[in-house]
Amino acid sequence: MLAPSPGILISRQLAARAHLQVGDEVTLATEPQGGRTATFRVTGVYEPTPDPMRFTAERIEARLHLPDLVALAADGSDPGDAESIGRINVALTDPADTHAFAADLASSVPTVVVRPASDFRESDVFAVIDRFHVAISIVTVVGATAFLLALMLIRAEERRETVGVMRLIGISQRSLLSSVAIEGCAIAIVGAAFGIALALASERAINHYFQTRYDTALVFIRVTAAIAVRAVVVAAPLGVGAGIAASWTLLRRNVLSLFRR
Amino acid sequence: MTPLALAWRATRQYRARAVLAVVGVAVIGALLFDMLLLSRGLLVSFGRLLSAEGFDIRIVATQGFARIGIPESAALVEAVRRMPGVADTAAIAVEAGDAGVGAAHGHVTLIGRSRASASPWRIVRGADLVDSAPGAGCEAVVDGRFPSQFHADVGGSVRVLGLPGGASALPPIDCRIVGVADFGFSASGERTVAMTMDALQRALGTTHGADAQVILIASAAGADPNAIVRAVGRLRPDVRAYSNAEVVEQFNRNGFAYFRQISTVLSTLTTVFAFLLVATLLTVSVNQRLGEIAALRAVGIARHRIAAMLFWESALLVGGGALAAVPLGAALAVGLDRLLRQMPGLPDGLHFFVFERRALVVHLLVFGVTAAASAAYPAWLAARLPIAETLRREVVG
Repeated sequence: MLAPSPGILISRQLAARAHLQVGDEVTLATEPQGGRTATFRVTGVYEPTPDPMRFTAERIEARLHLPDLVALAADGSDPGDAESIGRINVALTDPADTHAFAADLASSVPTVVVRPASDFRESDVFAVIDRFHVAISIVTVVGATAFLLALMLIRAEERRETVGVMRLIGISQRSLLSSVAIEGCAIAIVGAAFGIALALASERAINHYFQTRYDTALVFIRVTAAIAVRAVVVAAPLGVGAGIAASWTLLRRNVLSLFRR
Repeated sequence: MTPLALAWRATRQYRARAVLAVVGVAVIGALLFDMLLLSRGLLVSFGRLLSAEGFDIRIVATQGFARIGIPESAALVEAVRRMPGVADTAAIAVEAGDAGVGAAHGHVTLIGRSRASASPWRIVRGADLVDSAPGAGCEAVVDGRFPSQFHADVGGSVRVLGLPGGASALPPIDCRIVGVADFGFSASGERTVAMTMDALQRALGTTHGADAQVILIASAAGADPNAIVRAVGRLRPDVRAYSNAEVVEQFNRNGFAYFRQISTVLSTLTTVFAFLLVATLLTVSVNQRLGEIAALRAVGIARHRIAAMLFWESALLVGGGALAAVPLGAALAVGLDRLLRQMPGLPDGLHFFVFERRALVVHLLVFGVTAAASAAYPAWLAARLPIAETLRREVVG
């Protein structure tokens, strides 16, 4: 009786591309011309861990048991090749010991490079992209503030006579300023809430588009509570400021001049 | 009075709101201009870096430009050199290493270059590597920041040791620095020492020739690079050959997607944003000036001239903002480019925002259309205004 072929896992993308399913036998080769082959049996299909650094890459992958990979890929003319591996991942009982462990291992086995996973610099890339997004949002907010100010100015001009009447009947400048501030704040909060609702509504569509486009499970947009709060916290003072700035000239003027007298 | 003069008067009359609208359009326009620069910036910059190397075809071991040695690269270089249409070839190997000058030492990237007429780097001081007999003394070309970091310049010497596996017990070799070069693809934090392939082999302590990871080919004037690419494919089906255009295209498909998409999304959003806000401002402004517009109509100014006046008002606001957006966007692009170039491992010469005349033309076209579209509804409102009824309402009101 023949020994069963060793098992491998294949990525969902490879399964779809090659029309494979669990139980199928496949032949893998390490040379483009089809040399150095071995037969395996598909024992499972997995979803590759989403990787933001590689989301445009097609994840045509297979996972083998290490001895099977070594047997398939090792250079027979180099006995040391079958003993060599590229990387060993270590999970420590106490993650706080990471740097001490790395230093100990590096000093006792000087021919290997030991690096804590947190030292890999992919996270730096996303920190830079995050700063880029923040910079763009600041520019957008500055532009939006200018427009909001222009709109509030038009609105204040529209109510020039109303403001004059209110001042004539004895409503204080402070009360008028407060009402304008509350109005500006309300407009900004409603605007921010509309923006958050729009983001929430488009979140699923945008994620679906990019996940389909790149065949990945990566989440591209996530509207979190913290982001929503930040939007409101930025918008509210801007609305108050724009309202007060736009009305300030009306409140400082002589009352009669508001009636063009 | 012409519609432009009327529009100019109206804009001056409502100076504060006009200034704010221009500022708003300028800021949003600057963002749009930057997104247009970003949409192709990396591609243009990457293409320029490739062209600056002086080679137009590259051979690598696998698809995807990973640093993997090309088997039997020396034989392949010789075979390619004899191909018709090939002017020059250079095999390049890149390894991690350590360099030391006196007490100063640190990690460097070691580059080995085979015999070639030219190098894929630009000498800024001193001389380039000279092909010498195997076993001759090591000469090195270093990057521009190396002299200040290691306190060694042209004429000085540096101890070099290859560390392909991360560590080595071999003694370093001494190299004489003959030149300082601009390595287009080196990252800003990366120190580079280039030498001949023979010297690199000694620094690595190997007895057999180091496998090149890239073979660069310069095609002769008039030769078709694609024909050479096909010939290499027939000669060695196990390796991949790409023309510079194909490399740029592959970069466009794989490495560039995020910035292309964010620029498309933000360009669209900023255009819609500018349209909505200018249209809102003009509509609110027209509603506030209904009496004035009805009076202009009553004194005999034709409907189309009123509409033209509003189009000119829109053009003044959007046009003023769009023009101010260009220098503002250029300044903003410098800041954003500096911010994005903080990404680790990015080549020194690669830029995200690169000016192209095409971007300026698209920017002005988009704002021209935005100005016209923003004025359409207010102009329609003003044109169908019932004169007598509006005047009566305004006066009685």
